[in-house]
Amino acid sequence: MQEISKSFVPAVPVLEGVSLEVAEGEVLALLGENGAGKSTLMNVLAGLVTPDAGGLELAGERVDLGRYGPRGARDHGVGMVHQHSALVPAFTVAENLCFGDSAAGPWFRPGAELRAAEALSRRFELEVPVRRRVEELSPGQRQRAEILRALGRGARLLILDEPTAVLTPGEANALFAALRRLRGAGRAVIFISHKLAEVEQVADRVTILRRGRVVANLSAGELDARELGRLMLGRDLPPLERRAAPPGPPRLALRGLSVPGVTERSRLCGLDLEVLGGEIVGVVGIDGNGQRELEEALAGVRRPSGGEVLVAGRRVALSPRALRRAGLAHLSGDRERAGLVRGMSLAENFILKGSWDDRRFFRRGQIDRRAAALAASRAAARFGISPSDPDGDIASLSGGNAQKLAVARELDGDPPVLVAVNPTRGLDVGSARFVHEQLLARRAAGGAVLLISVELDEVLALADRVVALVRGELRSVPPGADRAAIGAILLGEGGA
Amino acid sequence: MNEALLALLSGSLGSVAGWTATLRESAPLLVTGLAVALAFRGGTWNIGAEGQLLAGALCATVVATRLLVEAPALLLVPAVALAGAFGGALFGALAGVLRAARGVSEVISTILLNFVASSLVALAIHGPLQEAARAYPKSDPFPSAALLPSFGRVHAGLLVALLLAVLLHALLFRTPFGFRLRAVGLAPTAARFAGISPERIAVTTLALSGALAGLAGAFEVAGVTGQLYEGLSAGTGYTAIAVALLARLQPLWVIPSALFFGALEAGAAAMQREAGVPAVVTQVVQGVVILLAALVSIRRRPGARLGARARSEAG
Repeated sequence: MQEISKSFVPAVPVLEGVSLEVAEGEVLALLGENGAGKSTLMNVLAGLVTPDAGGLELAGERVDLGRYGPRGARDHGVGMVHQHSALVPAFTVAENLCFGDSAAGPWFRPGAELRAAEALSRRFELEVPVRRRVEELSPGQRQRAEILRALGRGARLLILDEPTAVLTPGEANALFAALRRLRGAGRAVIFISHKLAEVEQVADRVTILRRGRVVANLSAGELDARELGRLMLGRDLPPLERRAAPPGPPRLALRGLSVPGVTERSRLCGLDLEVLGGEIVGVVGIDGNGQRELEEALAGVRRPSGGEVLVAGRRVALSPRALRRAGLAHLSGDRERAGLVRGMSLAENFILKGSWDDRRFFRRGQIDRRAAALAASRAAARFGISPSDPDGDIASLSGGNAQKLAVARELDGDPPVLVAVNPTRGLDVGSARFVHEQLLARRAAGGAVLLISVELDEVLALADRVVALVRGELRSVPPGADRAAIGAILLGEGGA
Repeated sequence: MNEALLALLSGSLGSVAGWTATLRESAPLLVTGLAVALAFRGGTWNIGAEGQLLAGALCATVVATRLLVEAPALLLVPAVALAGAFGGALFGALAGVLRAARGVSEVISTILLNFVASSLVALAIHGPLQEAARAYPKSDPFPSAALLPSFGRVHAGLLVALLLAVLLHALLFRTPFGFRLRAVGLAPTAARFAGISPERIAVTTLALSGALAGLAGAFEVAGVTGQLYEGLSAGTGYTAIAVALLARLQPLWVIPSALFFGALEAGAAAMQREAGVPAVVTQVVQGVVILLAALVSIRRRPGARLGARARSEAG
């Protein structure tokens, strides 16, 4: 791709003369913050967006971008795997693979389709249950099915848009192995990410975009996490500052907390845990080992089968209102599900949790809309949320900005206890850094923070003490344990 | 063609008689439209305004022709209205409880309850509520003290309906209850995390929505027909869905929306009478409007827009 430029709004370029090159048998990582232009650039390549200027050459052949389009991309062997699955949920994998394949003719031949899908799956060693319906698959399997579909249509260049965002660490590793095999089979892969660690694992070369321009082209050997962060952000990312905080009294205590689980593996059995003021306790674990149950119990939306929870030494009923009143705030990375209401304004989202007892905003059966707008504007100014219009729909905010509003809401009133669950899921480096700084600020102010996260690095960087949640039980992690040691504990090998 | 359109217009908006007919048709559409808008805002798909209206009319008739026949107007009119609201609320709450306790989709239960309601009306007017003469399947005429005060042929229920639109707007957008209701309608799980019970909101919403529809039923029997008979509501509760959607679920916009559909209904009768064009033609118009309203109310997603533009550019 040469000198690609694109503006959706005149004079506000999303891409300014971006050039990019990827060879057969190469994995190129495309890095950048949200809004750097990664997705737009890849949409140009996939024929979904026509650039204002620039050229494209595929396999040595110059392409007319004006008449390129999605079909042209497919004919030239470009296949894109989107962040959100584009498969038909009610169809089996095999049916999805032949769906839209014009070469197959008008008749549906279940047997042949099935054999073709299985052959494809074997050929690229991408393990997918081709007879199952897509809606029954795990996110990882779904993604492999999607990759298979692109390959089945003859893709020589695969584009993966933030493929690991929906995957567990185990699934992500499987994906990387698959990408390495594809590289071996002479396919080219472009891999969009904003996580440095995974780029180091799989990429041959790295191209970094910032505000619509290429700021660096590096080979994998030259990678340095700090340097990468600096290039993406355009500024230095100072190491997190963790001041020593004197431990305070116990603020949050779980006593024999048992919670019925979604699966046998995720049922919580008698958890005991204490978090002191001025302390961040990290709970690490592989997704599906009870994190969701722990989160929901501590948010008051899942009824425990036994045990109790104490906030500031007092037993609290596990309902959202009682927990909030006792001073426990809940910050979830699953914003759409558990945090914010799309379709409501920033101000309405800011006051969402106080509808029963927050006299600042709800008085005498009325909503004080002016107070709400003022509070939301203040929060927007303080945390740099944009767009900052308190009456604007929360859905118009990027993930990072929406999460900032959630952080502002949860930290409003300085709650003594904060339960943060995957608080930086889906956020770019800058926004994640912001959330981390806020957690540390809460700790410095004497608050107790329980950080439940599947991101090991996040927990190691922030927590004073780490415990592991394995098959619904807590295991202690010795202080100073490294990634490998913790990994062994998470897999159920060793640990006390 | 021109003749038909002329008849449609003069029969609805072109004359005093047309306007009164339009207003009379609009009143039940306005109240049921508010009922549907309220339910949809709370995330409950109440397709049962028709049945709730009939249940309200039935309860109102019981009060007016059996229980409080001798009561003075000052007592009887409010009692009839309350009875109507109660009957509708009962049907709405039933669907709400089924959903909250057993997870029964309110779409199914409210539709099925429509049949229950119309059968109950039939049962009542063939049995206990049938007129003293026992000649036709209809109730006794309401005592004059039970009839709504009216101006010409427009009854006072219309004024109440206008007031209700303003009140509902305030309820939805100015009170904590309305806030919770909207939160549940937009994001039930997020609302649950915020300490709001979607189940409880569903029951309350459907009960309130049913109460409004039931009130519309009471207004019909006490303001227009003066008695209960089969076929009292020819699909008012279904047209109400279109009324609410066209208003984009905004209570204040339900007023012009109901007027529009009311004018269509009134004009259709005139068109059939004067130009010989079948009234079903206006039902076609209504159908088109409903489709357009549905199209407008589908929220555009950024991804979909991007794809559409890319395709048009590529095309």
